[in-house]
Amino acid sequence: MSAVVDSHGHAADEHGHHDHHGGYGGIMRWITTTNHKDIGTLYLWFSLIMFMVGGTMAMAIRLELFQPGIQFFNPDLFNQFTTMHGLIMVFGAIMPAFVGFANWQIPMMIGAPDMAFARLNNWSFWLLPFAAVLLLSSFIVPGGAASAGWTLYPPLSVQTGMGMDLTIFAVHLLGMSSILGSINIITTILNMRAPTMGLMRMPLFVWTWLITAYLLLATMPVFAGAVTMTLTDRHFGTTFFNAAGGGDPVLYQHLFWFFGHPEVYIIALPAFGVISQVIPAFSRKPLFGYASMVYATFAIAFLSFIVWAHHMYTVGMPVTGQLFFMYATTLIAVPTGVKVFNWVATMWKGSLTFETPMLFAIGFLFLFTLGGFTGLVLAMVPIDIQLQDTYYVVAHFHYVMVAGALFSAYAGVYFWLPKWTGRMYDEKLGQIHFWLTMIFFNVTFFVQHFAGLAGMPRRIPDYPLMFETWNKISSIGAFGFGLSQLLFVYIILKAIRHGEKAPHKPWEGAGSLDWTRLPTPAPYHTFETPPVL
Amino acid sequence: MSNNLKTALVLASIALAGFVGIIAKYWFLNG
Repeated sequence: MSAVVDSHGHAADEHGHHDHHGGYGGIMRWITTTNHKDIGTLYLWFSLIMFMVGGTMAMAIRLELFQPGIQFFNPDLFNQFTTMHGLIMVFGAIMPAFVGFANWQIPMMIGAPDMAFARLNNWSFWLLPFAAVLLLSSFIVPGGAASAGWTLYPPLSVQTGMGMDLTIFAVHLLGMSSILGSINIITTILNMRAPTMGLMRMPLFVWTWLITAYLLLATMPVFAGAVTMTLTDRHFGTTFFNAAGGGDPVLYQHLFWFFGHPEVYIIALPAFGVISQVIPAFSRKPLFGYASMVYATFAIAFLSFIVWAHHMYTVGMPVTGQLFFMYATTLIAVPTGVKVFNWVATMWKGSLTFETPMLFAIGFLFLFTLGGFTGLVLAMVPIDIQLQDTYYVVAHFHYVMVAGALFSAYAGVYFWLPKWTGRMYDEKLGQIHFWLTMIFFNVTFFVQHFAGLAGMPRRIPDYPLMFETWNKISSIGAFGFGLSQLLFVYIILKAIRHGEKAPHKPWEGAGSLDWTRLPTPAPYHTFETPPVL
Repeated sequence: MSNNLKTALVLASIALAGFVGIIAKYWFLNG
Protein backbone atom coordinates (compact mmCIF):
# COMPACT_ATOMS: atom_id res chain seq x y z
CA MET A 1 0.00 0.00 0.00
CA SER A 2 1.60 3.23 -1.08
CA ALA A 3 0.08 5.04 1.83
CA VAL A 4 2.21 3.33 4.43
CA VAL A 5 5.78 4.30 3.80
CA ASP A 6 8.33 5.20 6.44
CA SER A 7 10.82 8.03 6.29
CA HIS A 8 13.38 5.90 4.47
CA GLY A 9 11.00 4.84 1.78
CA HIS A 10 10.47 1.28 3.02
CA ALA A 11 6.96 0.00 3.04
CA ALA A 12 5.83 -0.61 6.61
CA ASP A 13 5.15 -4.19 7.56
CA GLU A 14 1.98 -5.61 9.08
CA HIS A 15 3.20 -4.71 12.54
CA GLY A 16 4.08 -1.18 11.58
CA HIS A 17 7.07 -0.92 13.91
CA HIS A 18 9.12 1.59 11.98
CA ASP A 19 9.82 3.82 14.92
CA HIS A 20 12.26 6.38 13.59
CA HIS A 21 12.05 9.01 16.27
CA GLY A 22 14.60 11.40 14.84
CA GLY A 23 17.97 12.19 16.36
CA TYR A 24 17.07 12.17 20.04
CA GLY A 25 16.02 9.59 22.56
CA GLY A 26 14.56 9.79 26.05
CA ILE A 27 13.14 13.07 27.25
CA MET A 28 14.75 15.05 24.39
CA ARG A 29 12.66 13.08 21.93
CA TRP A 30 9.53 14.48 23.52
CA ILE A 31 10.85 18.02 23.88
CA THR A 32 12.05 18.28 20.30
CA THR A 33 9.52 16.11 18.51
CA THR A 34 7.68 17.47 15.50
CA ASN A 35 5.75 14.26 14.82
CA HIS A 36 1.98 14.69 15.05
CA LYS A 37 1.56 11.36 16.83
CA ASP A 38 4.16 12.21 19.50
CA ILE A 39 2.60 15.63 20.00
CA GLY A 40 -0.87 14.08 20.18
CA THR A 41 0.43 11.75 22.89
CA LEU A 42 1.94 14.69 24.78
CA TYR A 43 -1.38 16.55 24.67
CA LEU A 44 -3.27 13.50 25.93
CA TRP A 45 -0.91 12.84 28.87
CA PHE A 46 -0.89 16.54 29.77
CA SER A 47 -4.67 16.52 29.67
CA LEU A 48 -4.85 13.47 31.94
CA ILE A 49 -2.46 15.01 34.48
CA MET A 50 -4.41 18.28 34.53
CA PHE A 51 -7.65 16.31 34.83
CA MET A 52 -6.26 14.72 37.98
CA VAL A 53 -5.14 18.10 39.35
CA GLY A 54 -8.49 19.76 38.59
CA GLY A 55 -10.27 16.67 39.90
CA THR A 56 -8.37 16.88 43.20
CA MET A 57 -9.66 20.44 43.59
CA ALA A 58 -13.19 19.20 42.85
CA MET A 59 -12.78 16.62 45.62
CA ALA A 60 -11.66 19.40 47.98
CA ILE A 61 -14.72 21.46 47.03
CA ARG A 62 -17.10 18.55 47.62
CA LEU A 63 -15.33 17.68 50.88
CA GLU A 64 -15.96 21.20 52.18
CA LEU A 65 -19.58 21.06 51.01
CA PHE A 66 -20.24 17.66 52.59
CA GLN A 67 -21.92 19.40 55.50
CA PRO A 68 -22.86 22.97 56.42
CA GLY A 69 -20.32 25.18 58.16
CA ILE A 70 -16.65 25.73 57.44
CA GLN A 71 -14.88 22.36 57.82
CA PHE A 72 -11.51 22.28 56.10
CA PHE A 73 -10.81 25.37 53.98
CA ASN A 74 -11.25 29.05 54.62
CA PRO A 75 -13.68 30.76 52.21
CA ASP A 76 -10.92 32.49 50.24
CA LEU A 77 -9.10 29.21 49.58
CA PHE A 78 -12.43 27.63 48.65
CA ASN A 79 -12.97 30.36 46.05
CA GLN A 80 -9.44 29.77 44.73
CA PHE A 81 -10.29 26.09 44.34
CA THR A 82 -13.52 26.76 42.41
CA THR A 83 -11.72 29.26 40.15
CA MET A 84 -8.73 27.05 39.44
CA HIS A 85 -10.87 23.92 39.09
CA GLY A 86 -12.83 25.62 36.29
CA LEU A 87 -9.82 27.09 34.51
CA ILE A 88 -7.78 23.89 34.74
CA MET A 89 -10.59 21.61 33.61
CA VAL A 90 -11.62 23.79 30.65
CA PHE A 91 -8.21 24.96 29.42
CA GLY A 92 -5.92 22.30 30.83
CA ALA A 93 -7.91 19.08 30.61
CA ILE A 94 -10.79 19.10 28.13
CA MET A 95 -9.38 21.32 25.37
CA PRO A 96 -5.94 19.64 25.28
CA ALA A 97 -7.63 16.22 25.21
CA PHE A 98 -9.47 17.08 22.01
CA VAL A 99 -6.38 18.77 20.53
CA GLY A 100 -4.57 15.51 21.29
CA PHE A 101 -7.22 13.61 19.33
CA ALA A 102 -6.91 16.16 16.51
CA ASN A 103 -3.14 15.74 16.35
CA TRP A 104 -3.29 11.97 16.28
CA GLN A 105 -6.28 11.55 14.03
CA ILE A 106 -6.65 14.41 11.55
CA PRO A 107 -3.53 13.65 9.46
CA MET A 108 -4.35 9.93 9.47
CA MET A 109 -8.00 10.56 8.59
CA ILE A 110 -7.30 12.88 5.65
CA GLY A 111 -4.26 11.04 4.29
CA ALA A 112 -1.69 13.71 5.24
CA PRO A 113 1.87 12.88 6.38
CA ASP A 114 1.78 15.25 9.36
CA MET A 115 0.38 18.61 10.44
CA ALA A 116 1.09 21.53 8.09
CA PHE A 117 3.48 23.25 10.52
CA ALA A 118 5.24 20.56 12.49
CA ARG A 119 7.59 22.84 14.48
CA LEU A 120 4.74 25.22 15.30
CA ASN A 121 2.83 22.18 16.50
CA ASN A 122 5.63 21.39 18.95
CA TRP A 123 5.57 24.99 20.24
CA SER A 124 1.76 24.97 20.57
CA PHE A 125 2.05 22.07 22.97
CA TRP A 126 5.06 23.21 24.96
CA LEU A 127 3.37 26.52 25.82
CA LEU A 128 0.88 24.53 27.88
CA PRO A 129 3.12 23.21 30.70
CA PHE A 130 4.37 26.76 31.31
CA ALA A 131 0.78 27.99 31.53
CA ALA A 132 0.02 25.17 33.97
CA VAL A 133 3.02 26.11 36.13
CA LEU A 134 1.85 29.75 36.19
CA LEU A 135 -1.67 28.71 37.19
CA LEU A 136 -0.60 26.29 39.91
CA SER A 137 2.22 28.42 41.31
CA SER A 138 -0.31 31.18 41.90
CA PHE A 139 -1.42 29.26 45.01
CA ILE A 140 1.86 30.10 46.75
CA VAL A 141 2.15 33.82 45.95
CA PRO A 142 0.89 36.50 48.37
CA GLY A 143 -2.91 36.65 48.21
CA GLY A 144 -3.12 33.16 46.75
CA ALA A 145 -4.51 32.07 43.40
CA ALA A 146 -7.17 33.89 41.41
CA SER A 147 -10.47 33.62 43.24
CA ALA A 148 -12.88 35.56 41.01
CA GLY A 149 -14.39 32.45 39.41
CA TRP A 150 -13.18 30.97 36.10
CA THR A 151 -14.91 33.86 34.32
CA LEU A 152 -12.49 36.31 36.01
CA TYR A 153 -15.12 39.02 36.34
CA PRO A 154 -14.19 42.51 37.49
CA PRO A 155 -14.29 44.20 39.94
CA LEU A 156 -12.93 41.16 41.82
CA SER A 157 -10.34 40.38 39.15
CA VAL A 158 -9.07 43.97 39.26
CA GLN A 159 -8.79 44.02 43.04
CA THR A 160 -7.24 40.68 44.01
CA GLY A 161 -3.56 39.80 44.51
CA MET A 162 -0.79 38.85 42.11
CA GLY A 163 -2.26 35.37 41.61
CA MET A 164 -4.56 37.10 39.11
CA ASP A 165 -1.56 38.40 37.16
CA LEU A 166 -0.16 34.89 36.91
CA THR A 167 -3.57 33.67 35.77
CA ILE A 168 -3.77 36.40 33.11
CA PHE A 169 -0.35 35.45 31.75
CA ALA A 170 -1.39 31.80 31.82
CA VAL A 171 -4.49 32.69 29.79
CA HIS A 172 -2.25 34.51 27.30
CA LEU A 173 -0.11 31.40 26.87
CA LEU A 174 -3.13 29.12 26.64
CA GLY A 175 -4.73 31.44 24.09
CA MET A 176 -1.56 31.61 22.03
CA SER A 177 -1.33 27.83 22.07
CA SER A 178 -4.95 27.50 20.95
CA ILE A 179 -4.59 30.07 18.16
CA LEU A 180 -1.41 28.50 16.80
CA GLY A 181 -3.03 25.08 17.04
CA SER A 182 -6.09 26.34 15.17
CA ILE A 183 -4.01 27.83 12.38
CA ASN A 184 -2.21 24.51 12.05
CA ILE A 185 -5.40 22.47 12.01
CA ILE A 186 -7.20 24.68 9.46
CA THR A 187 -4.16 24.76 7.16
CA THR A 188 -3.70 21.00 7.43
CA ILE A 189 -7.33 20.24 6.64
CA LEU A 190 -7.70 22.76 3.82
CA ASN A 191 -4.37 22.15 2.07
CA MET A 192 -3.18 18.64 2.89
CA ARG A 193 -6.10 16.30 2.28
CA ALA A 194 -5.59 13.35 -0.04
CA PRO A 195 -6.16 14.73 -3.56
CA THR A 196 -9.43 12.91 -4.11
CA MET A 197 -10.84 13.67 -0.67
CA GLY A 198 -13.34 16.50 -1.19
CA LEU A 199 -14.59 18.42 1.82
CA MET A 200 -17.84 16.47 1.85
CA ARG A 201 -15.93 13.17 1.98
CA MET A 202 -14.04 14.06 5.15
CA PRO A 203 -14.83 12.09 8.31
CA LEU A 204 -17.14 14.08 10.57
CA PHE A 205 -14.47 14.32 13.27
CA VAL A 206 -12.35 16.31 10.80
CA TRP A 207 -15.31 18.53 9.87
CA THR A 208 -16.10 19.33 13.48
CA TRP A 209 -12.46 20.21 14.15
CA LEU A 210 -12.28 22.47 11.07
CA ILE A 211 -15.24 24.46 12.32
CA THR A 212 -13.98 24.40 15.92
CA ALA A 213 -10.63 25.81 14.82
CA TYR A 214 -12.40 28.76 13.16
CA LEU A 215 -14.39 29.33 16.36
CA LEU A 216 -11.17 29.36 18.37
CA LEU A 217 -9.52 31.74 15.95
CA ALA A 218 -12.45 34.16 16.15
CA THR A 219 -13.04 34.14 19.89
CA MET A 220 -9.76 33.44 21.68
CA PRO A 221 -8.26 36.84 20.68
CA VAL A 222 -11.30 38.55 22.23
CA PHE A 223 -10.71 36.75 25.53
CA ALA A 224 -6.99 37.52 25.34
CA GLY A 225 -7.92 41.17 24.72
CA ALA A 226 -10.32 41.21 27.67
CA VAL A 227 -7.77 39.82 30.14
CA THR A 228 -5.14 42.19 28.76
CA MET A 229 -7.53 45.07 29.50
CA THR A 230 -7.95 43.64 33.01
CA LEU A 231 -4.16 43.63 33.34
CA THR A 232 -3.86 47.27 32.26
CA ASP A 233 -6.70 48.19 34.65
CA ARG A 234 -4.74 46.51 37.45
CA HIS A 235 -1.34 48.03 36.76
CA PHE A 236 -1.34 50.77 34.16
CA GLY A 237 -4.07 53.16 35.24
CA THR A 238 -6.69 52.34 32.59
CA THR A 239 -10.33 52.03 33.60
CA PHE A 240 -11.86 49.76 30.96
CA PHE A 241 -13.87 47.94 33.60
CA ASN A 242 -13.90 50.49 36.41
CA ALA A 243 -17.03 52.64 36.64
CA ALA A 244 -15.17 55.22 38.72
CA GLY A 245 -13.03 56.06 35.71
CA GLY A 246 -15.79 55.89 33.11
CA GLY A 247 -15.46 52.17 32.40
CA ASP A 248 -18.00 49.41 32.87
CA PRO A 249 -17.58 46.02 34.57
CA VAL A 250 -20.45 44.69 32.46
CA LEU A 251 -18.33 45.32 29.35
CA TYR A 252 -16.00 42.57 30.58
CA GLN A 253 -18.94 40.19 30.89
CA HIS A 254 -19.94 40.90 27.28
CA LEU A 255 -16.39 40.33 26.07
CA PHE A 256 -15.92 37.23 28.18
CA TRP A 257 -19.13 35.57 27.04
CA PHE A 258 -18.54 36.53 23.40
CA PHE A 259 -15.64 34.13 23.86
CA GLY A 260 -17.21 31.96 26.56
CA HIS A 261 -20.29 30.73 24.77
CA PRO A 262 -18.52 29.70 21.56
CA GLU A 263 -16.01 28.09 23.96
CA VAL A 264 -18.78 25.70 25.00
CA TYR A 265 -19.02 24.62 21.37
CA ILE A 266 -15.24 24.64 20.95
CA ILE A 267 -15.42 21.82 23.48
CA ALA A 268 -18.69 20.27 22.32
CA LEU A 269 -18.12 20.15 18.54
CA PRO A 270 -15.04 17.89 18.61
CA ALA A 271 -16.95 15.78 21.14
CA PHE A 272 -19.75 15.51 18.55
CA GLY A 273 -17.08 14.53 16.03
CA VAL A 274 -15.81 11.67 18.19
CA ILE A 275 -19.34 10.41 18.78
CA SER A 276 -20.00 10.59 15.03
CA GLN A 277 -17.06 8.22 14.47
CA VAL A 278 -17.90 5.83 17.31
CA ILE A 279 -21.65 5.30 16.83
CA PRO A 280 -21.45 4.23 13.14
CA ALA A 281 -18.52 1.90 13.93
CA PHE A 282 -20.48 0.00 16.59
CA SER A 283 -23.77 0.17 14.65
CA ARG A 284 -22.00 -1.19 11.56
CA LYS A 285 -23.78 1.39 9.43
CA PRO A 286 -22.69 4.62 7.78
CA LEU A 287 -23.53 7.78 9.70
CA PHE A 288 -27.14 8.74 9.01
CA GLY A 289 -27.54 12.18 7.39
CA TYR A 290 -23.85 13.04 6.88
CA ALA A 291 -24.56 16.29 5.00
CA SER A 292 -27.12 17.43 7.55
CA MET A 293 -24.55 16.74 10.30
CA VAL A 294 -22.10 19.07 8.55
CA TYR A 295 -24.70 21.80 8.08
CA ALA A 296 -25.91 21.41 11.66
CA THR A 297 -22.33 21.89 12.85
CA PHE A 298 -22.13 25.11 10.81
CA ALA A 299 -25.47 26.26 12.23
CA ILE A 300 -24.40 25.60 15.83
CA ALA A 301 -21.13 27.46 15.23
CA PHE A 302 -22.95 30.46 13.75
CA LEU A 303 -25.59 30.57 16.48
CA SER A 304 -22.93 30.30 19.19
CA PHE A 305 -21.82 33.84 18.26
CA ILE A 306 -25.22 35.45 18.84
CA VAL A 307 -26.32 34.00 22.17
CA TRP A 308 -23.62 35.18 24.58
CA ALA A 309 -25.80 37.45 26.71
CA HIS A 310 -28.00 34.57 27.87
CA HIS A 311 -25.32 34.25 30.56
CA MET A 312 -26.10 37.82 31.66
CA TYR A 313 -29.89 38.17 31.80
CA THR A 314 -29.67 39.63 35.31
CA VAL A 315 -27.24 42.48 34.57
CA GLY A 316 -30.06 44.80 33.56
CA MET A 317 -30.44 44.62 29.80
CA PRO A 318 -33.52 45.82 27.87
CA VAL A 319 -36.39 43.35 27.45
CA THR A 320 -35.81 43.39 23.68
CA GLY A 321 -32.24 42.26 24.34
CA GLN A 322 -33.41 39.51 26.66
CA LEU A 323 -35.95 38.35 24.07
CA PHE A 324 -33.40 38.33 21.26
CA PHE A 325 -30.92 36.24 23.24
CA MET A 326 -33.66 33.95 24.52
CA TYR A 327 -35.00 33.20 21.02
CA ALA A 328 -31.52 32.84 19.52
CA THR A 329 -30.56 30.41 22.30
CA THR A 330 -33.62 28.23 21.83
CA LEU A 331 -32.81 28.10 18.10
CA ILE A 332 -29.63 26.12 18.92
CA ALA A 333 -31.89 23.24 19.93
CA VAL A 334 -32.77 22.77 16.23
CA PRO A 335 -29.34 21.83 14.80
CA THR A 336 -28.49 20.02 18.03
CA GLY A 337 -31.72 18.07 17.66
CA VAL A 338 -30.72 17.21 14.10
CA LYS A 339 -27.50 15.72 15.43
CA VAL A 340 -29.16 13.71 18.19
CA PHE A 341 -31.76 12.45 15.71
CA ASN A 342 -29.03 11.40 13.27
CA TRP A 343 -27.07 9.52 15.94
CA VAL A 344 -30.18 7.65 17.01
CA ALA A 345 -31.12 7.01 13.37
CA THR A 346 -27.62 5.63 12.78
CA MET A 347 -28.23 3.09 15.54
CA TRP A 348 -31.72 2.27 14.25
CA LYS A 349 -31.72 -1.26 12.84
CA GLY A 350 -27.94 -1.32 13.12
CA SER A 351 -26.01 -4.42 14.11
CA LEU A 352 -25.22 -2.99 17.52
CA THR A 353 -22.57 -4.13 19.96
CA PHE A 354 -21.81 -2.43 23.23
CA GLU A 355 -18.07 -2.29 23.76
CA THR A 356 -16.75 0.44 26.06
CA PRO A 357 -16.46 3.20 23.40
CA MET A 358 -20.09 2.62 22.38
CA LEU A 359 -21.24 2.59 26.01
CA PHE A 360 -19.62 5.97 26.57
CA ALA A 361 -21.12 7.25 23.29
CA ILE A 362 -24.63 6.19 24.33
CA GLY A 363 -24.03 7.58 27.83
CA PHE A 364 -23.03 10.83 26.14
CA LEU A 365 -26.20 10.78 24.05
CA PHE A 366 -28.49 10.44 27.09
CA LEU A 367 -26.72 12.80 29.42
CA PHE A 368 -25.64 15.49 26.96
CA THR A 369 -29.24 15.68 25.76
CA LEU A 370 -30.34 16.11 29.37
CA GLY A 371 -27.77 18.90 29.74
CA GLY A 372 -29.17 20.43 26.57
CA PHE A 373 -32.69 20.37 27.98
CA THR A 374 -31.64 22.14 31.18
CA GLY A 375 -29.87 24.62 28.91
CA LEU A 376 -33.21 25.35 27.28
CA VAL A 377 -34.75 25.81 30.73
CA LEU A 378 -32.02 28.31 31.61
CA ALA A 379 -32.46 30.08 28.26
CA MET A 380 -35.92 31.24 29.38
CA VAL A 381 -35.46 34.71 30.86
CA PRO A 382 -38.05 34.49 33.67
CA ILE A 383 -36.73 31.10 34.80
CA ASP A 384 -33.10 32.10 34.51
CA ILE A 385 -33.66 35.13 36.70
CA GLN A 386 -34.72 32.71 39.44
CA LEU A 387 -31.94 30.22 38.80
CA GLN A 388 -29.03 32.57 38.01
CA ASP A 389 -25.93 31.60 40.02
CA THR A 390 -27.60 28.61 41.68
CA TYR A 391 -26.54 24.97 41.69
CA TYR A 392 -29.01 24.35 38.87
CA VAL A 393 -26.54 26.14 36.60
CA VAL A 394 -23.66 24.08 38.06
CA ALA A 395 -25.61 20.88 37.35
CA HIS A 396 -26.47 22.05 33.82
CA PHE A 397 -22.94 22.81 32.70
CA HIS A 398 -21.49 19.70 34.30
CA TYR A 399 -23.96 17.63 32.27
CA VAL A 400 -22.61 19.41 29.20
CA MET A 401 -18.93 19.44 30.13
CA VAL A 402 -18.53 16.11 31.94
CA ALA A 403 -21.23 13.93 30.43
CA GLY A 404 -20.73 15.68 27.10
CA ALA A 405 -17.04 16.34 26.67
CA LEU A 406 -15.50 13.88 29.14
CA PHE A 407 -17.70 10.92 28.13
CA SER A 408 -16.89 11.65 24.50
CA ALA A 409 -13.17 11.87 25.31
CA TYR A 410 -13.37 8.48 27.05
CA ALA A 411 -15.20 7.05 24.03
CA GLY A 412 -12.40 8.41 21.82
CA VAL A 413 -9.57 7.04 23.98
CA TYR A 414 -11.06 3.53 24.17
CA PHE A 415 -11.90 3.64 20.44
CA TRP A 416 -8.48 4.77 19.19
CA LEU A 417 -6.20 3.27 21.86
CA PRO A 418 -5.61 0.09 19.78
CA LYS A 419 -4.65 2.24 16.78
CA TRP A 420 -2.28 4.36 18.85
CA THR A 421 -0.61 1.66 20.95
CA GLY A 422 -1.26 -1.61 19.14
CA ARG A 423 -2.68 -2.96 22.41
CA MET A 424 -6.21 -3.71 23.53
CA TYR A 425 -7.54 -2.41 26.81
CA ASP A 426 -9.27 -4.79 29.25
CA GLU A 427 -12.87 -4.76 27.98
CA LYS A 428 -14.36 -5.93 31.26
CA LEU A 429 -12.57 -3.24 33.25
CA GLY A 430 -13.56 -0.68 30.60
CA GLN A 431 -17.21 -1.56 31.05
CA ILE A 432 -16.88 -1.38 34.84
CA HIS A 433 -15.28 2.05 34.40
CA PHE A 434 -18.23 3.15 32.28
CA TRP A 435 -20.91 2.00 34.72
CA LEU A 436 -19.12 3.42 37.77
CA THR A 437 -18.64 6.73 35.95
CA MET A 438 -22.24 6.79 34.73
CA ILE A 439 -23.75 6.02 38.15
CA PHE A 440 -21.51 8.27 40.23
CA PHE A 441 -21.79 11.12 37.71
CA ASN A 442 -25.56 11.16 38.13
CA VAL A 443 -25.36 10.77 41.90
CA THR A 444 -23.07 13.80 41.96
CA PHE A 445 -24.79 16.13 39.58
CA PHE A 446 -28.45 15.14 39.22
CA VAL A 447 -29.20 16.13 42.81
CA GLN A 448 -27.58 19.50 42.24
CA HIS A 449 -30.60 20.40 40.10
CA PHE A 450 -32.77 20.06 43.21
CA ALA A 451 -30.36 22.04 45.39
CA GLY A 452 -30.37 24.77 42.75
CA LEU A 453 -34.16 24.77 42.39
CA ALA A 454 -34.36 25.13 46.18
CA GLY A 455 -32.14 28.21 45.88
CA MET A 456 -28.64 27.09 46.84
CA PRO A 457 -26.13 29.60 45.42
CA ARG A 458 -22.93 28.45 43.70
CA ARG A 459 -19.37 29.37 44.74
CA ILE A 460 -19.99 29.35 48.50
CA PRO A 461 -18.22 27.14 51.10
CA ASP A 462 -21.13 27.20 53.55
CA TYR A 463 -24.90 26.84 53.21
CA PRO A 464 -28.11 26.65 55.27
CA LEU A 465 -29.07 23.32 56.86
CA MET A 466 -31.95 22.83 54.40
CA PHE A 467 -29.48 21.97 51.61
CA GLU A 468 -27.54 19.40 53.60
CA THR A 469 -29.11 16.20 52.20
CA TRP A 470 -28.58 17.12 48.54
CA ASN A 471 -25.00 18.15 49.26
CA LYS A 472 -24.18 14.98 51.17
CA ILE A 473 -25.47 12.84 48.29
CA SER A 474 -23.60 14.97 45.77
CA SER A 475 -20.33 14.73 47.74
CA ILE A 476 -20.60 10.95 48.12
CA GLY A 477 -21.21 10.72 44.36
CA ALA A 478 -18.22 12.97 43.69
CA PHE A 479 -15.85 10.84 45.79
CA GLY A 480 -17.08 7.72 43.95
CA PHE A 481 -16.69 9.50 40.61
CA GLY A 482 -13.16 10.60 41.50
CA LEU A 483 -12.08 7.11 42.56
CA SER A 484 -13.63 5.61 39.41
CA GLN A 485 -11.34 7.77 37.29
CA LEU A 486 -8.30 6.17 38.94
CA LEU A 487 -9.57 2.93 37.40
CA PHE A 488 -9.31 4.62 33.98
CA VAL A 489 -5.63 5.43 34.61
CA TYR A 490 -5.05 1.80 35.63
CA ILE A 491 -6.83 0.51 32.50
CA ILE A 492 -4.72 2.68 30.22
CA LEU A 493 -1.41 1.80 31.91
CA LYS A 494 -2.35 -1.90 31.93
CA ALA A 495 -3.24 -1.78 28.23
CA ILE A 496 0.01 -0.04 27.29
CA ARG A 497 2.21 -2.40 29.34
CA HIS A 498 0.41 -5.73 29.26
CA GLY A 499 -2.50 -5.37 26.88
CA GLU A 500 -3.24 -8.06 24.32
CA LYS A 501 -1.94 -7.32 20.86
CA ALA A 502 -4.63 -5.47 18.92
CA PRO A 503 -5.84 -7.00 15.66
CA HIS A 504 -5.45 -4.92 12.52
CA LYS A 505 -9.01 -3.65 12.77
CA PRO A 506 -10.55 -4.36 16.17
CA TRP A 507 -13.77 -2.51 15.33
CA GLU A 508 -15.21 -4.06 12.19
CA GLY A 509 -17.55 -1.14 11.51
CA ALA A 510 -14.83 1.53 11.55
CA GLY A 511 -14.47 3.03 8.10
CA SER A 512 -12.11 6.02 8.12
CA LEU A 513 -8.66 5.96 6.47
CA ASP A 514 -6.81 5.43 9.74
CA TRP A 515 -8.58 2.08 10.16
CA THR A 516 -8.85 0.99 6.54
CA ARG A 517 -5.47 2.04 5.09
CA LEU A 518 -3.03 1.88 7.99
CA PRO A 519 -1.72 -1.02 10.05
CA THR A 520 -2.34 -1.25 13.80
CA PRO A 521 -0.51 0.27 15.58
CA ALA A 522 -0.08 3.18 13.19
CA PRO A 523 3.57 3.47 12.09
CA TYR A 524 5.53 6.51 13.24
CA HIS A 525 5.40 8.01 9.76
CA THR A 526 2.26 7.58 7.68
CA PHE A 527 0.93 8.74 4.32
CA GLU A 528 4.14 10.19 2.95
CA THR A 529 2.53 9.32 -0.38
CA PRO A 530 -1.09 10.49 -0.48
CA PRO A 531 -3.58 7.63 -0.59
CA VAL A 532 -5.87 7.20 -3.58
CA LEU A 533 -9.45 6.93 -2.39
CA MET B 1 5.40 31.51 -0.75
CA SER B 2 3.74 28.15 -0.14
CA ASN B 3 0.00 27.66 0.06
CA ASN B 4 0.32 26.61 3.67
CA LEU B 5 2.17 29.78 4.59
CA LYS B 6 -0.38 31.95 2.78
CA THR B 7 -3.26 30.27 4.61
CA ALA B 8 -1.47 30.63 7.94
CA LEU B 9 -0.73 34.32 7.40
CA VAL B 10 -4.36 35.07 6.55
CA LEU B 11 -5.54 33.21 9.66
CA ALA B 12 -2.91 34.80 11.90
CA SER B 13 -3.92 38.28 10.70
CA ILE B 14 -7.55 37.54 11.57
CA ALA B 15 -6.51 36.56 15.11
CA LEU B 16 -4.20 39.55 15.51
CA ALA B 17 -6.87 41.94 14.22
CA GLY B 18 -9.32 40.51 16.77
CA PHE B 19 -6.89 40.97 19.66
CA VAL B 20 -5.68 44.46 18.75
CA GLY B 21 -9.11 45.56 17.47
CA ILE B 22 -11.00 44.75 20.64
CA ILE B 23 -8.54 46.63 22.84
CA ALA B 24 -8.28 49.56 20.43
CA LYS B 25 -12.06 49.89 20.16
CA TYR B 26 -12.57 50.32 23.89
CA TRP B 27 -9.39 52.34 24.31
CA PHE B 28 -10.76 54.97 21.96
CA LEU B 29 -14.31 54.71 23.30
CA ASN B 30 -13.01 55.30 26.82
CA GLY B 31 -10.83 58.20 25.73
